[in-house]
Amino acid sequence: MISRPIKEGFRGVGRHWGMALSSAIAVTITLVIISIFLIFSWHLHTFTKSIEYSMKIAVLIDSEHEDPTSEQLIKKSIEKLEGVKSVTFSSKEDEFQYYLQQYDDKAMQEAMAPFGEDNPMSDAYYVEVENGDLIQHISSEIRAIEGVADVDYGGQTTIDMVAAMETIRRIGAMFVAALSVLAIFLIQNTIKLTIGAREDEITIMRNVGATNGFIRSPFVCEGMIIGFLGSLIPIAVTVYGYYALYQRTQGVVFSNLFHLETPLPFITYIAGILAFVGIAVGFIGSWLSVTKYLRWKR
Amino acid sequence: MIECAHVYKKYKNGTNALYDINISVEQGEFIYIIGPTGSGKSTLIRLLDGEEMPTKGTVKVVGIDVGSLRASQVPIYRRNIGVVFQDYKLLPTKTVFENITYALEVIRMKKPQVRARAKEVMGVVGLSEKGNAFPHELSGGQQQRVAIARAIANRPKVLIADEPTGNLDPGKSDEIMDLLERINERYGTTILMVTHDLTLVNKHRKRTVVLEHGHIVADLAEGGYVRHDQ
Repeated sequence: MISRPIKEGFRGVGRHWGMALSSAIAVTITLVIISIFLIFSWHLHTFTKSIEYSMKIAVLIDSEHEDPTSEQLIKKSIEKLEGVKSVTFSSKEDEFQYYLQQYDDKAMQEAMAPFGEDNPMSDAYYVEVENGDLIQHISSEIRAIEGVADVDYGGQTTIDMVAAMETIRRIGAMFVAALSVLAIFLIQNTIKLTIGAREDEITIMRNVGATNGFIRSPFVCEGMIIGFLGSLIPIAVTVYGYYALYQRTQGVVFSNLFHLETPLPFITYIAGILAFVGIAVGFIGSWLSVTKYLRWKR
Repeated sequence: MIECAHVYKKYKNGTNALYDINISVEQGEFIYIIGPTGSGKSTLIRLLDGEEMPTKGTVKVVGIDVGSLRASQVPIYRRNIGVVFQDYKLLPTKTVFENITYALEVIRMKKPQVRARAKEVMGVVGLSEKGNAFPHELSGGQQQRVAIARAIANRPKVLIADEPTGNLDPGKSDEIMDLLERINERYGTTILMVTHDLTLVNKHRKRTVVLEHGHIVADLAEGGYVRHDQ
């Protein structure tokens, strides 16, 4: 059984479809922009994370020291260094798997797999430092430890780039938040118009003894329905647009460094977020506007 | 049933609407409040239905001190009273049946009971056949009947009627009066009716309280009234 507020909410949309449509369009436009920013921001995030990962100091163990005792000694020596945040062990098998994963092409992965039998990789430690500025100094100190074959890190330019991308991502997140507020404002205003036209109805509802909650719930449901309807076009645009982009680029943009997420399940998450934002914006917008009319004079 | 004791009302803009109003209405009584425009009739209604608070004095309806109610308690209080307005105040997008059932859904009455009660009151006001009609498809008299049906659906002990015949011709006004009298007799509902229709007051004689410039100038138990300036 559909409960009263939901039923009334749908009726409200049907009876005031002009208003509902204009509110939904306001949501649609903002959600399309939010969707683009979400996808952009997510990719920036994964890209930054992957660079950050490669920015860790990779400490390759000399093949003569690849025994648990020596490796423990090396680990302890690294941990003793000032500015070291964490030291993670990665076996040569792990390293080989990681190497395989660098290939997007399944066929290529299968072709490389047999090399694992005579694994050419070394055991390694990944060292995270507390501060990017220390990376160079710590690297040279680690290099001096006995049993360390090689030390590798991305270099200062990479560190600066990561910091810059992090800033861009934060600005992007703020932009998405600002857009959401704008959408709330837009839907609030259009719903306010809808409700304004029904102020008499609210007065009558009050006269027959309806509580604020009883009056508010259908309007809030109506707002949520409008928000959801407004999210449908952005969801469709995102799903088709992202598939098209992925197929056209084969998942690689600018360079091999920058990979697009595979459409599934990524796109379903984005669609879910858009639907949620639409409904939430509708909820908040209608709540705010109906509350204005429910304020008691006394 | 209704008790106003030394009630004063002064609005924020400085208008003094009521001065030292004392009215006591017994259960089952039918009383008119009459007076010219600006005499304080509407203010009195607003005090009774909880929309306004008295500046001084107490307003008690069905034993509830209306003036001391918190804003959130007012809707609950209103379920004890029925109010009928001059402009009917029906929900335009709802049918006659829905307008009546709405008042019952508000008090969370069970669905089968809501339907039964709505049908019953539609019968009382003589609109059994109009359940599916929208307010704009009805005449003024019929719309007022719907409003009365809605007001009594909840079996209120008190019915406040604010100029219920104000928009109706004399014939229809008589019909509405007959209906209100029938409700008063059949259910023992206390009715307080505000009007400026002296013909009606003189024809259907009942206790009449006369307001002028916010003062009670007469409380006539026998009813009937001739303006002293005529």
